[in-house]
Amino acid sequence: MALFRLSSPLDPISGLLELQRELERLAENPLGMDLGFSGRGAFPAMNIFSDKDGYVVRLEVPGVPPEQISIETRGRTLTVSGRRAASGPEGASVHRREREAGEFARSIQLPDDLDLSRAEAGCKHGILTIRIPKREEAKPRQITVKAA
Amino acid sequence: MTPQELSVKAKQELSGGEHTRPGRTYVPDVDISETPDSLWLWADMPGVDEHSVEVKLDEGVLAIEGRVSLKEYEGLTPLYTEYNVGNYARRFSLSADIDAERIKARMANGVLELELPKTARAKPRKIPISAG
Repeated sequence: MALFRLSSPLDPISGLLELQRELERLAENPLGMDLGFSGRGAFPAMNIFSDKDGYVVRLEVPGVPPEQISIETRGRTLTVSGRRAASGPEGASVHRREREAGEFARSIQLPDDLDLSRAEAGCKHGILTIRIPKREEAKPRQITVKAA
Repeated sequence: MTPQELSVKAKQELSGGEHTRPGRTYVPDVDISETPDSLWLWADMPGVDEHSVEVKLDEGVLAIEGRVSLKEYEGLTPLYTEYNVGNYARRFSLSADIDAERIKARMANGVLELELPKTARAKPRKIPISAG
């Protein structure tokens, strides 16, 4: 497991450099995570983090309203699907079209020690965040030593 | 039928030394359309809220800039990454005369929408032809 953790609170200047450096360092998937069948290069782009409670999966979905996103779990598989609408107005002449529109779906396989039944999702400013807690039995536990 | 898979382009870093903020700055993907009355622009800036975006029009050059918040990343350990996080900036030379006073900007779901109304002078005008 990675030993690096972004500090809290992050300094606005050095924090951005720190975050960018760490994301860059991990861009080649050095942890060799087995994510299943849908890979890099598909929309939406995805980052995976861990925190003290479990995993945090984050996807960039600019222009997709939360009600157009569907998240489904089956076994260890998490699937995010939805639709991104083309920009209007009708009948306008298009000068530039760099933003792709249409339907999307991505799936990943998560490790066994996560409890997908307790996953929670939120979408803010075009970023979808899915938090998946560890199973209770997978959490570190402190064992008190009693005097004999 | 499986839906057509949308692809994602790697974010392009802004080149040139014109940004004053530290760290990497990315070029947002945009759509630009034109109607008889206005130019319309949409820019993908995921992670940017309505208080962290700036739009400037100066001598026919439109500049947009968005700053991301780092708050959501505190206490996280990256495990797998496909995209990097950074501020956004892009500039455009506008082909039409725009009425700067009436520009409308809106941020929704990480997309900046701009309506840039043309000045009366720049609007297409039909010239009636009278029978001679």
